[in-house]
Amino acid sequence: MQIVIWIREKRVFCDMAELSLTLDSTAMRDFAADTEPKQTPARSSEDGMHARTPDPDSDESLLIAVGNDQCTDAFNTLFNRFANKVFAHGMKITRNEQLSKDLVQEAMLTVWQKAPLYDLDRGTAQSWIFTLTRNRCFDMLRKQKRQPSCVSADDIWPSEEDEVDAREQQDSEFIGTELAQIDKFIKQLPLAQQAVVEQIYILDRTHEEAAVALDIPLGTLKSRLRLAMGKLRHLIGTE
Amino acid sequence: MNTEVNFHPSTELLQKFATGSLSGGMNVAISAHVELCKFCRQQTSEFEAKAAIDWLQMPTESDESDFSDLVAGIIKQPQIDSIGSNGSALNEIHMLDHSVRLPKVLAKAAAEGLVWKQLGGGINQAELSLDDETQCEFIYMKPGSQTPVHKHQGSEITLVLDGSFSDELGHYNPSDFIARSGSDVHQPRSEEGCLCFAVLDKPLTFTKGIARLLNPINNYRFRRSLARRAG
Ligand SMILES: [Zn+2]
Repeated sequence: MQIVIWIREKRVFCDMAELSLTLDSTAMRDFAADTEPKQTPARSSEDGMHARTPDPDSDESLLIAVGNDQCTDAFNTLFNRFANKVFAHGMKITRNEQLSKDLVQEAMLTVWQKAPLYDLDRGTAQSWIFTLTRNRCFDMLRKQKRQPSCVSADDIWPSEEDEVDAREQQDSEFIGTELAQIDKFIKQLPLAQQAVVEQIYILDRTHEEAAVALDIPLGTLKSRLRLAMGKLRHLIGTE
Repeated sequence: MNTEVNFHPSTELLQKFATGSLSGGMNVAISAHVELCKFCRQQTSEFEAKAAIDWLQMPTESDESDFSDLVAGIIKQPQIDSIGSNGSALNEIHMLDHSVRLPKVLAKAAAEGLVWKQLGGGINQAELSLDDETQCEFIYMKPGSQTPVHKHQGSEITLVLDGSFSDELGHYNPSDFIARSGSDVHQPRSEEGCLCFAVLDKPLTFTKGIARLLNPINNYRFRRSLARRAG
């Protein structure tokens, strides 16, 4: 079953499964917004330190000190702990000593520069430093082989904050517009049909469950649903 | 996406992706799948964490490596406190009657523009240059297109981006990641049309020597393009 919707002056094809998914996730979001205050995750490094990393000598504490206070002592300690490991990774991947030395410079510079972006929600410091090392190594090797540079390591392994922000922004924009449109169409249905659409596509009930909930025979439910979908397709298609 | 993802990269491929030991083209194909597939996204984070542990356990020769003179230069550099957005010009491919939103890494790879070539049989191809070891390209199969039966050479990765196609081994939907290596005989076909991204091993043996003499270049290229569809 396919429906054509106009969004942002663009035609979008979507089948009923997708439509129900959209309605459903938005309904869930509205529901969540009604029932509980909007929560922002505890991201402050202080909370995290007290809760999870009391040891001031841990890699995580040191990295946070580098990020929050530009603490050079902390960076020195991290450098001593990781530089040899970075070099070893370089040798394993590039088998080239000079490149591996350059990798130590590049990767540890990135650790210094990006430390303000690290927090405990990002996983262990080791894992974070490893991925930076891997990414710089990939870029260096590509440059050295004079390979096309249109795609960099940061495109291939996007950091979480990039990815989540971009996706959420796109999705909420998209779903917002889409739902406003669809909602408008649903409101034009007879009430009995609206109830059926709500049961199936917003509350995600099966036909049988919906029939019980509305206290109507299954056949009636199915025919109302068929009528509702036909009408929706008509409304949306001719908008 | 409204369809369930049925075909994923192997564990081995995802582990190599996490450790950074694959070629550029392979990385791009897996990255694109990982953006579309929550399951593989979680797997990748786990493999990254595991790779970091393995990394730290790797023996290092501590004697000859003293890099401490680098520190002074590094700490003079400014730090970064926010990530700039690396927005890309192209993030959709416009098909005849609709647009397809590309995974970010593919949008970046295609940012300089795609040159589409018609290969006959309703198959269109746009090549991308991503590394020395693989051949990478977008493939568009028109609705109702079908390639001749052919034998598949070398290994090939196909990521479905839009529409669907089938071969003797299955039916493939958006986000499916299909790996073929070996000499299976295939006849891919697409009822509704299909946009894919494909990565092939460079078939070195076919670009040299007698095999090349036996195949006029165009014919060879055409067959390769068809072989590509085998994934
Ligand atoms: Zn997957």
